[in-house]
Amino acid sequence: MGAVAQQAAPAFDRLLAGDQALLARAISIIEAGGAAADGLAQRLCDHAGRADVLAVTGPPGAGKSTLIDAMIAKFRAQGTMVAVLAVDPSSPLSGGAILGDRTRMGQHSADRGVFIRSIAARGHLGGLALTVPAILDALDAAGWPIIILETVGAGQSETEVADFADVKIVVNAPGLGDDVQAIKAGILEIADILVVNKADQPLAKRTVNQLKDMLELRAENKRDVPIVSTAANKGEGLETLMDTVSQSLAAIASRSAEDKISRRLSGALLRRADSILKQRLRAIDDERLGSLCADIRNGNQTLDDAAKILLSQELRWRVE
Amino acid sequence: MGAASIKVLVTKIGLDGHDRGSRLVGAYLRDAGMEVVYTPPWQEIDAVVNLATQEDVDLVGVSSLATDHLIIPDLMAALKEAGLEHVEVIVGGIVPESEHQMLFDSGVAEIFGPGSSREDIVASAVKLGNAAQQRKLSSEEFSR
Amino acid sequence: MIAKQALASWDEKPKQMMLPGFEEAEEAWKETYQAHIGTDRRITNRSGIEIKPIYTPEDWSDERYMADLGFPGQEPYTRGIYPTMHRGRTWTQRQLIGLGTPQDYNERVRKILDLGANAISLLPCNSGFRGVDCDEVPFPLLGTCGTVINTVDHMDAALDGVPIDRISTAMNDPTPFTLLAFVLGVAKRRNVPFDKVSGTSNQSDYISHYVANHMFYRLSQPGARRVLVDHVAYCREHLPNWNPVSVVGQHMQQAGATPAETIGFTLSTAIQYAEDCMARGMDPDDILPKFTFFFDISISFFEEVAKFRAARRIWARITKERLGAKDPRSWRFKFHGQTSGVDLTSQQPLNNIARVAVQAVAGIFSGLQSMHTDAYDEAITCPTEETARIAVATQNILREEAHLCDVIDPMGGSYYVETLTNQMEKEILEVLDKIDAAGGMYEAVGAGLVQSMIGRSALAAQQRIETGEEKVVGVNCYQSNDDGIEQPKPYRPDPETMKVHVEQFKQFKADRSQAEVDKALAALRRAANDDNDNTFAKVVEGVEVGVTHGEVVAALRDELGFGHPLIVD
Repeated sequence: MGAVAQQAAPAFDRLLAGDQALLARAISIIEAGGAAADGLAQRLCDHAGRADVLAVTGPPGAGKSTLIDAMIAKFRAQGTMVAVLAVDPSSPLSGGAILGDRTRMGQHSADRGVFIRSIAARGHLGGLALTVPAILDALDAAGWPIIILETVGAGQSETEVADFADVKIVVNAPGLGDDVQAIKAGILEIADILVVNKADQPLAKRTVNQLKDMLELRAENKRDVPIVSTAANKGEGLETLMDTVSQSLAAIASRSAEDKISRRLSGALLRRADSILKQRLRAIDDERLGSLCADIRNGNQTLDDAAKILLSQELRWRVE
Repeated sequence: MGAASIKVLVTKIGLDGHDRGSRLVGAYLRDAGMEVVYTPPWQEIDAVVNLATQEDVDLVGVSSLATDHLIIPDLMAALKEAGLEHVEVIVGGIVPESEHQMLFDSGVAEIFGPGSSREDIVASAVKLGNAAQQRKLSSEEFSR
Repeated sequence: MIAKQALASWDEKPKQMMLPGFEEAEEAWKETYQAHIGTDRRITNRSGIEIKPIYTPEDWSDERYMADLGFPGQEPYTRGIYPTMHRGRTWTQRQLIGLGTPQDYNERVRKILDLGANAISLLPCNSGFRGVDCDEVPFPLLGTCGTVINTVDHMDAALDGVPIDRISTAMNDPTPFTLLAFVLGVAKRRNVPFDKVSGTSNQSDYISHYVANHMFYRLSQPGARRVLVDHVAYCREHLPNWNPVSVVGQHMQQAGATPAETIGFTLSTAIQYAEDCMARGMDPDDILPKFTFFFDISISFFEEVAKFRAARRIWARITKERLGAKDPRSWRFKFHGQTSGVDLTSQQPLNNIARVAVQAVAGIFSGLQSMHTDAYDEAITCPTEETARIAVATQNILREEAHLCDVIDPMGGSYYVETLTNQMEKEILEVLDKIDAAGGMYEAVGAGLVQSMIGRSALAAQQRIETGEEKVVGVNCYQSNDDGIEQPKPYRPDPETMKVHVEQFKQFKADRSQAEVDKALAALRRAANDDNDNTFAKVVEGVEVGVTHGEVVAALRDELGFGHPLIVD
């Protein structure tokens, strides 16, 4: 037991009171998973529901970190404390990870009113979506009023994570190959606010127009997504972005704490189920697969029916 | 326990910008399976303490190729002040022998000079990282 | 385009020679060689070129003499950029020094001049590299790696008794070149006309700082680009004997680039700067004669000699064909060589004296224009007086005793060296092509191409040492924990004098006319936002009324943006 543990108030209470070291420790425990993580997450739920979560997502090179850095500066100027949860894809080959994003928000490193935590996507079957909701609850319970969730928006798991946010900001920049195509698949759909960063670059106007065209193609009630141009490195467009964010937050201000908590929790539940199921399916032995395959080849079962049989067997196992 | 659960901060404080060594060591530890939080050079001591706190690291690796090791005792004091006594600190780079003791006295666990092998660095990081984790607050403490 | 043409000329093998008995003798040698050596080990140099056991006229022959060599001071400049080379005037002996307070520096620099150095250099304290003054950094670090110089007064004290109208002064002075501004302030005080001030803005190459060693003020990259061109424009107009551009290969090679990559990156950078200046309306023949280069000389002896000979040849072609320079002075590849600190070890430190001597010989045979030899404790500390003396003595011995300067380009005509020079040229041109394909050095660096190439080479070099393929005495072979030699005690400035120095600086700031300082800084800020103005002219004017180094940098950072080092994993 460390020296910290011997202090008077219980660790959990000190976490709620804003002890950063204990918050950091709790996040590690949640990241590690298992029963201890679930137990802690359950207790944290009771104290969460106050924070607003802003997801900032977009392809690599869009300047997300610079944008977040500039947003932090704005929040801090208003006297608001900000937490950032940076989700970092790790090298799948080595298993280890270099958590780089943290360093790009270096200007706020020494400010105790900013809590930045990077988490690696490694090691979790089903990805970060499994741990992020509980980590958000931890930051929320510890009293951080604004949580910025940074994801790469490259893989399925990273985009899913953005679902836990109250306001989703999708960042793009000109010159990233086939600009809009790069983010079209999936994540454009989730945007509450679209940002074209690096707006000082020559092709920025074209990117804005492409996004506008894309919105035109949508159903009428989904076209009304604001597009904000920024040059985060120069601080340009930041005021507009912050105003737009405030408006989005005002629109959901009526959302109750209970609502916020249950949205995170239901998401966590579905993803946990998904993960368990995937694990089970991967564990099915060749023999069982072989006999079902034979049925398909003989024409005794369609592929679809065979898949459903497999699934029902697995679900029965789960219930038993 | 192996390397996989260890989280390490690789950083440089002070004025020097030569980062070949810190990047190399960062890559060594990552390839050994650790989670590495890497910073560019010139971090302020307060920033390093904040990073170590918020990222809940087990180890801090500080690279010093010029004379920046002269302020490592200040860093050690700041880590203690912030309640991070359990975090182990390894120094790598060029530290004159006559100044080793000063660093050890301030609480530095190991000093790796030029020519140190990858195996030695990783082995030491694993040993110290595991030891640091033993001293960390366990999950049970949160349910009291 | 240059690359293609040159490559074609190597593909032709020398014609079959009419050497009676050659083939029979070669066959016989091969047979006995195989028999004796058994399995031959594969040897590649640091640039990845495979090295054969022997080189003969089959690899390079005199038929290529005029195409590959010619004469010194003539195209293709392989043998040297001047007709007389070291037989006429040997290299400038320029020891990089910097330590403590300006008074500490002055004491050391006078001793070095007494010992025979004929030019001086000044390395500022790392706080200077970071763009801040001495009252803004942790006190224990001040003056441990360079001299603390923040004002004209400081420079005046540092150069006390140094005749700046006769001794050339190289300042390690990246953008925005405040050290030169301080020197000009001193020149005015001493009534030395600006055209008598000679020397070099060492390390003015901001790109190398961005990608390799990160010792820079962190102006944004576009800002640094602008300030450098301003500096060149100012020097062209006012300082005919000053070299405003020193393109630095040293940082790249120290960060891990191979010797061939180093030259490729450095020449690409030089092209970028020349083109930036030309875009500002400058004539190539007005600026290129003032371009200089700064390199590490590693211990890979023949590779280094070949590297510099090839570089000389390529630069002459680039300046003439690509940049359109007509004046032969523009074609000359003038370089300063510093024996590489990377090769030095902290284990068995006296061994470094031998390493430095070998590196220095490579530099001399490469035909360098000025040289710094490292002190043997340079891997451990800022050199002490005694170790600095030995470093200077090494140069003196090589120059005076060893008869190395009797013959120009003494390695010329060696089958091995000529073949290797051609091979290095080919490697270098490939790097140049890669950078060109990426849109030039500025773009290639922005896209991370250069950094990832350096990163890969650094890792490969480290692996060569770890596997023992590259031997380092005292590190991966001949190790000894007890070599009977105590490590030299590191230089640390006297804290009491340094304290006084900082206090005096604070007093200086309090005493100067704040109104004049504010006016000068406002003018600098305006110039930064006006492309027709010159920022360096405003720096020169500003320091005269007491603007400090840190204030210049802070103002420019504000106006031109803050730059992060460009790191790619």
